[in-house]
Amino acid sequence: MTTNAQVPTKVYFEDVQVGDAIPRLIKSSVTHLQLVRYAGASGDFNPLHTDPKIGEMLGLGGIISHGMLIMGFVGQMLSDYVGPTALRKFDVRFKGMTHLDDVITCTGTITEKFEADGEARISGRVKAADQNGDVKLIGTFVAALPRRNAAQ
Amino acid sequence: MFDTSKVGHSFPPFTIEVERCKIHELALAIGDDNPIYHSREAAQAAGYADVPLFPTAPTMFTFWGNTKFVSNLVNLGVNPMAILHGEEEFEYLAPINPGDTLTGMTTLVDGKTRKGHAGSMDILKLETRYTNQHDQAVLVARTVVIVRG
Repeated sequence: MTTNAQVPTKVYFEDVQVGDAIPRLIKSSVTHLQLVRYAGASGDFNPLHTDPKIGEMLGLGGIISHGMLIMGFVGQMLSDYVGPTALRKFDVRFKGMTHLDDVITCTGTITEKFEADGEARISGRVKAADQNGDVKLIGTFVAALPRRNAAQ
Repeated sequence: MFDTSKVGHSFPPFTIEVERCKIHELALAIGDDNPIYHSREAAQAAGYADVPLFPTAPTMFTFWGNTKFVSNLVNLGVNPMAILHGEEEFEYLAPINPGDTLTGMTTLVDGKTRKGHAGSMDILKLETRYTNQHDQAVLVARTVVIVRG
């Protein structure tokens, strides 16, 4: 396991407590154009996500978002909180489908502080839900944080 | 029902180069305007060596790197139109930077068929292990797909 000497400090290990809430991220409503852009970026061209006729045909009430776009929203929240290079693990379970015009809010809580592989780490759980409180995904993450008084 | 004899089977490896512009494109699509994903200069100004890997960027390695991804699923007896994404996990083992060349190998680690009132569904667990151009293990991606019968 390597540590990242280049990690800019976003939050110190000493400043995090179990039970702390991660600053929430409220996304703009999901649009058809966003799903087209996300399909192109990710390479997932399943027409379920871009062609309204397919969504209707499959009884989904129209196109649905890629689950990975919603995981991306939570990734943005974690990137804002600890920085992308601090992440050691990030996993989600998809619980509900996201439709056009849904407004997704990402939240999280710190559940553990520990040491592993010579790093000070935190674990947390995360969630993404829509404007009605319907949960789209739940997940967990592990991140390595710098210490305030790191020995050189 | 999927081909149960393929449990434990690994697909041929694939390679992909990590590209700064794709991380930029993905961040834009997700709606993250953090400048560290949009230019090397901004990333370096923020203290990074180069544009860092957006947390869910590994999804691009699967779809853009593994051109056989969908046909691999078809060869397992899976209808791609019947797939739902159940779970996704990334384990980040070492830094991944733009310009790195990654080699990925996907294994069907587990598969089950569940029969319920509404019909049957297959639950497949795929694991992809990535190494870089120095043969370092850099990432493990674990995916659960649910195939409606």
